[in-house]
Amino acid sequence: MRRTITLLALLAAPILTAGQVFAADPPKPAVAAAAAASTAPAVPGLWLLTDYPSQTVRPGEATTIRFKLQNSGIAPETLAVSVDGVPAGWKIELMGNGQPIAAAMAPTNDSVALQLRVDVPKDAKPGSQNIVVHAKGATQSIDLPMTLTIGKEVPAKLAIKTQLPSLIGTSKSSFDYTLSVTNDSGKEMTVALAAQSPGNFQTTFTEGYGTNEISSLPIEAGASKDIKVKVRPPQEIKAGDYPVLVKVSAEGATAEQKVTLQISGQGALSLTSKDGRLSGEAQVGKTADYMLVVGNDGTAPIENVEMSGSVPADWKVEFNPKTLPSVAPNEKKEVKVSVTPSEKAIAGDYVASFRAGGRGDSKSADYRITVTTSTLWGMVGIGIIAIALLVLLGAVARFGRR
Amino acid sequence: MSDNVIEARGLLKLYGAARAVDAIDLDIRRGEIFGLLGPNGAGKTTTILMMLGLTETSGGSVSVLGFDPVRQPLQVKRRVGYLPDAVGFYDHMTARENLTYTARLLAIPRRESHGRIMEALKNVSLDDVADKRVATFSRGMRQRLGIAEIVMKRAEVAILDEPTSGLDPHATFELLEMIRGLKKAGVAVLLSSHLLDRVQSVCDRVALFNKGKIALMGTVVELANQVLGAGHPLLVEASGIDVAAALRGVEGVQQVVSAGEGAWRVVADRDVRAAVAQRIVSAGGALTKLSDLQPSLEEVYTHYFEGERHAA
Amino acid sequence: MQREGSPFTGLGPVFIKELSDHLTSVRMMVLTLFVIVFGAFPVASSLQTLRTVVGADAYLYLRIFTIEPEQVPISFITALNFIIPLMAIGLGFDSVNSEFNRRTLSRVLSQPIYRDALLLGKFLGGLMTLAVGLLALWLIVFGAGLLLLGIPPRGVEVARAFGFLLVAIAYGGVWLSVSMLFSVVFRSTATSALCALGMWLFFFILWPMIANALVLGFAPREITTVDQYVGIQQLAIALQRLSPGTLFSEALLGLLNPETRTLGFMLPQQMRGAIPNAPLPLDQSLLLIWPQVTGLIAGMIVVFAAAYVVFQREEVRA
Repeated sequence: MRRTITLLALLAAPILTAGQVFAADPPKPAVAAAAAASTAPAVPGLWLLTDYPSQTVRPGEATTIRFKLQNSGIAPETLAVSVDGVPAGWKIELMGNGQPIAAAMAPTNDSVALQLRVDVPKDAKPGSQNIVVHAKGATQSIDLPMTLTIGKEVPAKLAIKTQLPSLIGTSKSSFDYTLSVTNDSGKEMTVALAAQSPGNFQTTFTEGYGTNEISSLPIEAGASKDIKVKVRPPQEIKAGDYPVLVKVSAEGATAEQKVTLQISGQGALSLTSKDGRLSGEAQVGKTADYMLVVGNDGTAPIENVEMSGSVPADWKVEFNPKTLPSVAPNEKKEVKVSVTPSEKAIAGDYVASFRAGGRGDSKSADYRITVTTSTLWGMVGIGIIAIALLVLLGAVARFGRR
Repeated sequence: MSDNVIEARGLLKLYGAARAVDAIDLDIRRGEIFGLLGPNGAGKTTTILMMLGLTETSGGSVSVLGFDPVRQPLQVKRRVGYLPDAVGFYDHMTARENLTYTARLLAIPRRESHGRIMEALKNVSLDDVADKRVATFSRGMRQRLGIAEIVMKRAEVAILDEPTSGLDPHATFELLEMIRGLKKAGVAVLLSSHLLDRVQSVCDRVALFNKGKIALMGTVVELANQVLGAGHPLLVEASGIDVAAALRGVEGVQQVVSAGEGAWRVVADRDVRAAVAQRIVSAGGALTKLSDLQPSLEEVYTHYFEGERHAA
Repeated sequence: MQREGSPFTGLGPVFIKELSDHLTSVRMMVLTLFVIVFGAFPVASSLQTLRTVVGADAYLYLRIFTIEPEQVPISFITALNFIIPLMAIGLGFDSVNSEFNRRTLSRVLSQPIYRDALLLGKFLGGLMTLAVGLLALWLIVFGAGLLLLGIPPRGVEVARAFGFLLVAIAYGGVWLSVSMLFSVVFRSTATSALCALGMWLFFFILWPMIANALVLGFAPREITTVDQYVGIQQLAIALQRLSPGTLFSEALLGLLNPETRTLGFMLPQQMRGAIPNAPLPLDQSLLLIWPQVTGLIAGMIVVFAAAYVVFQREEVRA
């Protein structure tokens, strides 16, 4: 409330000055006054406005003070702008749109943004300096008095906080923490991001919803930004709580936030063959046995692992045992799979897919089965040749030796 | 083993109902030249092929050098040389190459074969054309090459089928000389022919084939006796005497026929030359010629088949 | 009545004589020229095509035999399918009757050998000649491959290609025994050659059409079940296989295209789950083509036996 009143008081000052300037033309100020009484922006006239008419500046630094030229309901006019009361050794420049300016013009019912660039010499003595910004046109002239106090540097200050400091997941999950970093100091700072985590953890920072990895980000004075920390624990890590300390630092200011990964155990099935080869042979119509090994590379036991397989049409596949009640971590269990190619199968390579599925994880493996045909027909062929030879021998016996 | 190199007993060959060779008995002695005579189609070649085991017998038995050609044809063929009717050689090969092939078939060792081939070629006077292609050879040279093959083979028996057919007189003469040479080397020769006069001169014995049967067998003289009924015909030429009258009463003389001016043909059943000469001389005649007439095989042959024709 | 002695006495000299006769004959030179002209074009074109092919092919050398180059519309094996019978007929059509006609038969048979050895020696001599010719051709192809492709063939490729050589010889053997049969049956060499060539043309041109016509005749008017369809397809294949050329090309397909899984008719469900383009191991390929090889070898033996019986019953007398 108090702030509002101050603002009004500040606003009142130019109005008064304007009133004095326009004394020769009584009806207009009257209208303006009437309008100002009802709604502030509706007050006709020209104004120079700034948020903070009294500011702190630091020796040896440049401070930019934003203000604007506001035109309410009067015809636009070129106003020459200047600054009075610049202390000796100081350098104050009027800027508009980043460039030094000497005049400004505000359209009706609009404003022009202007800046004061104040270079305070290093050796400036503490105390307050009053300066006045003048805007002077053909018909009007307005002032904006300001007070610049040379003050001690405000120490940089950062704050970091998160709403969800503890996440639960498995060793395969990635843990995403959203943290809000606030720059509580008087100026923009580039904040370096770091995380202290147990060995082999991977941490990456991204900005808000962005995808680019960052290691630092600039934050304007008083503003706060969201960053995201993604933590990937190593796969083989045991279940437990793992703290990660997220640290932000800039210009000597630091802030940290501890987040916690609550890693729960998880089973990870593996499915290979006993000798590691995922291929085998089978004869047409004959059952071939292969030894599969179901293992658990995870950190928690897997219950009720059921074996299944998909084979070409008319083939048969059986597992022994069909189900494994439980596979503990680092345990390996053998499963015999019996594949019977169809009687009509043609020699060549086929793919059979075996699958081990349990609660929590499943794994399938493609097995390349080379189907061979029986040598029976080869024997028959030799038999046919033998018969042909017998015919020949019979002919020799009957008609031979002449 | 007897002295016979070939013995056939009741040898039979049937072509369907036709009897190509009709139960013949035949003996061929070691070192003789035996002629199988008869018209074409009388069964001579079939008999020869049976002896070589090149065709089946239908009955009877035959033994060549003590081997049965039906059961042991390889043994027989290893020892018997055969010169077929119109013998053929591989035209694209030389004489020597042809014989080398035969030598290989005979399993003659390589180092031996060269000498034997050259020797055999020399034997038949073909050594100067040994390396000429057979395609350039005349018929007579081919027949000689066939003889050379038999020589090289060192056969104990040579069987020659129509060896002289289609040869000019000179070539025939040469070939017959070679056949005699074979005999001299101790080879028993069996030759078949329908050309009688040529065969007559070389054959010790002949067999006359007719319709698959042996009609006659023996020496030419024996055959003549058998067919012509005469053992010893003589030609007597004398002057100043009637030989017919003078010889009347000489023992053994069966017939005296005038054979022209001063010439008589005398037929006797034994050798009566000495008695005839004595009688003529003692009767005051001048004996100018007294010769033993060779019975002509041609005569025998013609006579015999005429007789057959009459009988039929 | 058992005759004494081995029926194969004298087989060696007959074999060697026939072989040297064939190898030195003008006819063989003409046939070789023929083969080179017919074989060289597809091979040269195949190599030209293969050189432009980028990317590893595990069976590059076998492709020389099988690919159909763009310039020449026949592959090497198609050419061989056509030429080998011609070679074999050329070698065999006068083998026996020319002996009769030259009057050498009775003279040769009066030497201590049986006819068995003569016929077998002639057959083996012809087969060996074929084998020598094909081996030379085979080596030329491999040599050209080495020269133009610049990489050595793998062992399995050589093994397969060697199998190809054996099958080609067996195929030649079938036609050799066919032409020898005719040479035994007919006294005239011209008749014998004509019959053998006629049979060759019959199997190459007429038989496919006749087989089709037969299949159409046997086929029911409407095909309603899969079984009927399969039956008809199998009948068609079986009829085609009566031709030695079909057996030959099928055997080569299995040998030289390792990806070939079956030579017969195949239902789509039999291919389900199969890994496409996975080459069969050599022993499986051999098992696959074994019936074809068996057919060729058995056919060769049976036709030879027929020629043998006819020859043994003939009279030697010219």
